[in-house]
Amino acid sequence: MKKTFAAILVIVMIFSLSAVALADDGKVFIMGIDPEYPPFSYLGDDGEYTGFDVEVCQAVCDYLGWKMEIFGVNWDEKLVQLDSLECDCVWSGMTILDSMKEAGYVISEPYYDNTQVLVVKEDSGLASSADLEGKIVAVQLGTSGEALLNGDLADLAATFGNIVTCDSFLKCFTELEGNAVDAVFVDLPVAASYAANHDGLLIIDEQLGAEQYGIAFRSGDAELCAQVEEAIQALVENGTYAEIASKSEYVDIVNNLLFLNANESAA
Amino acid sequence: MADFNNMESMGGQKARNILAVNALRKAFGSLQVLKDISLHVEQGNVVSVIGPSGSGKSTLLRCISFLEKADGGDILYDGQYAVKDGVYATKAELNRFRTRFGLVFQNFNLFPHYSVMKNITEPPMIRGENREIVTERASALLKKMGLEGKENAYPCQLSGGQQQRVAIARALALNPEILFFDEPTSALDPELTGEVLKVIRQLAEEKMTMVVVTHEMPFARAVSNRVIFMDKGVIVEEGHPEQVLGSPQQERTRQFLRNYQR
Amino acid sequence: MSLMTMIVKMSEGLGKTCAIFFLTLLFSLPLGMIVALLRMSKVKVVSTITRFFITVIRGTPLMLQLLAVTYGPYYLFRANVSRNKLIPVVIAFSINYAAYFAEIYRGGIESISIGQYEAAEVLGYSKFQTFMRIILPQVIKRIMPSVTNEVVTLVKDTSMAFTVSYQEMFTIGKQIANSQTSFMPFVVAGVFYYIFNAIVDYLMGRIEKSLDYYR
Repeated sequence: MKKTFAAILVIVMIFSLSAVALADDGKVFIMGIDPEYPPFSYLGDDGEYTGFDVEVCQAVCDYLGWKMEIFGVNWDEKLVQLDSLECDCVWSGMTILDSMKEAGYVISEPYYDNTQVLVVKEDSGLASSADLEGKIVAVQLGTSGEALLNGDLADLAATFGNIVTCDSFLKCFTELEGNAVDAVFVDLPVAASYAANHDGLLIIDEQLGAEQYGIAFRSGDAELCAQVEEAIQALVENGTYAEIASKSEYVDIVNNLLFLNANESAA
Repeated sequence: MADFNNMESMGGQKARNILAVNALRKAFGSLQVLKDISLHVEQGNVVSVIGPSGSGKSTLLRCISFLEKADGGDILYDGQYAVKDGVYATKAELNRFRTRFGLVFQNFNLFPHYSVMKNITEPPMIRGENREIVTERASALLKKMGLEGKENAYPCQLSGGQQQRVAIARALALNPEILFFDEPTSALDPELTGEVLKVIRQLAEEKMTMVVVTHEMPFARAVSNRVIFMDKGVIVEEGHPEQVLGSPQQERTRQFLRNYQR
Repeated sequence: MSLMTMIVKMSEGLGKTCAIFFLTLLFSLPLGMIVALLRMSKVKVVSTITRFFITVIRGTPLMLQLLAVTYGPYYLFRANVSRNKLIPVVIAFSINYAAYFAEIYRGGIESISIGQYEAAEVLGYSKFQTFMRIILPQVIKRIMPSVTNEVVTLVKDTSMAFTVSYQEMFTIGKQIANSQTSFMPFVVAGVFYYIFNAIVDYLMGRIEKSLDYYR
């Protein structure tokens, strides 16, 4: 009796071990995105999440044989959510900040060079950041733009009349179009894609707070980061990366993609 | 008894009718609650209305105090029409008629957030009377009701019997010509009914004109000048209490009294 | 950033939090009474419309109402978005809380026995006098616990003004949390709300107690 029981136990254990092994083969990789950040990550017309980062991540997972899942993070809580295992990375047009590295997060090689721009109304007569003295500027909470205004660009920020923080970039632009603010401080690609669909807006690009995008992983996940980086490199080499970037949706960002430009300069 | 009949026949000539009701009708939906009720109350008289529940006696009281709207008939106070053929006087006129009567409810309906004193003094003051005069009158009434020292108490601190006596004082403070009682002791514990009935009896002795809807037969017999027995929306029998309660003519009355005594 | 700087920064937003709180109470408490009376109107059309209004307000998130009041006029009529966000915020909060207060008032008014109205009528009180002197004081006593509940909720709901970029205490807390990669501002915010509500609780308790002299 006892022996039978032991035998069953052993069999059960073997099965569960192999189950674990199988699960490892079909690893699930949870990508943390800001679902409202086109063209990097957003809800597509078909109701599925899409965007440049999402497509690249999908290609990476396909390459590595992983199953990809998408988790929409609350952008200003993204690192907390990463720590609490709600996702395995934050990959969504995320600006690399020194504070992230200091806090121990593993950050990938930068893949995108971003700049912050000011968007104003064409008929406002505003043409440079100097014109915004005493004016109201909107910025999205949790974006690098906000961090810059509180940090490196604090001197510029001090000349503004007031800074309004909104919880989505759409609200920033609504405030602008509804004349509640005079300018929006936002990432260039976001500004470009919004201005392309809405008339009467002017982008003031003064190369403010040039910055780079990367992927954030938990502090213990250096290996995972390396795996993803290698996969991306492989995709760059086999042309998949360029193929994704060549889509018309990404026309505004293609020039700022570091890997492609590196290839070009090498070529 | 002979005296009583005599008075009845002489009607309005000798004594003045404080209240007169002619052919009063009232229906709730298809249910006819009052079917051509007529009665009058002479000054200084006490009329008791008895009858089984659902007989319409409370509705009658509520109609003559304008809490229910009658469908037809007349209501006259001191010879003046408040309701004529089912048509009511204007709002302002009705309000003047309201000063002529007081109503004491089965459930007292004191205002719980007011002290005993304020319960009694506010209604006359709302009608424009002077505070000092009203307060003096209220104190006298409370004394008469045996409630001295309760001026600053709140209704919730009083027994049911005390509350009902406050309610009577409240009604009297408006100096009504006639007082209506709607089963004034029905919500009281049996041992508390005595004190309330005693007060009403005292008022009767002072020749206060009153209509009392009641189930207290001995009380009705002792205090009333006239008893009305109602059933199913009609006055079945009325007359001197000794007659209606002692030797009723109608079978329905006898049956009711028999059931009541059991 | 030191904890002290954090607290000072967030205290600056506390003034705006208080502004939402007090202005909302100032407008929603009387507005709620008007809505309650319309809801109980004998005119069927009026009561039906009011009832629909209440179900809409209670059946949709406050956050949505904030967005609708703040940005709705722009999307509908291309009207300017208000620069002073306190105005749309207080409007949205007042309408929302008026709907809730209206239902509390209605419950309170309907719980008063018909006998109180009848006694007042017979004693010669006008309809208005009956309501103001007899009914309302009793209603207030009965609804105090429910009102306290709503007021406590309001303190916490003020944080929702963030959704339309009004820089109240919690918004500033989020900004600090974000720039400092720190959880501390949320702890500070929690303590602020707790103290605020402790004061509210104490004051409402005092009012309730002062109405304890009768049952």
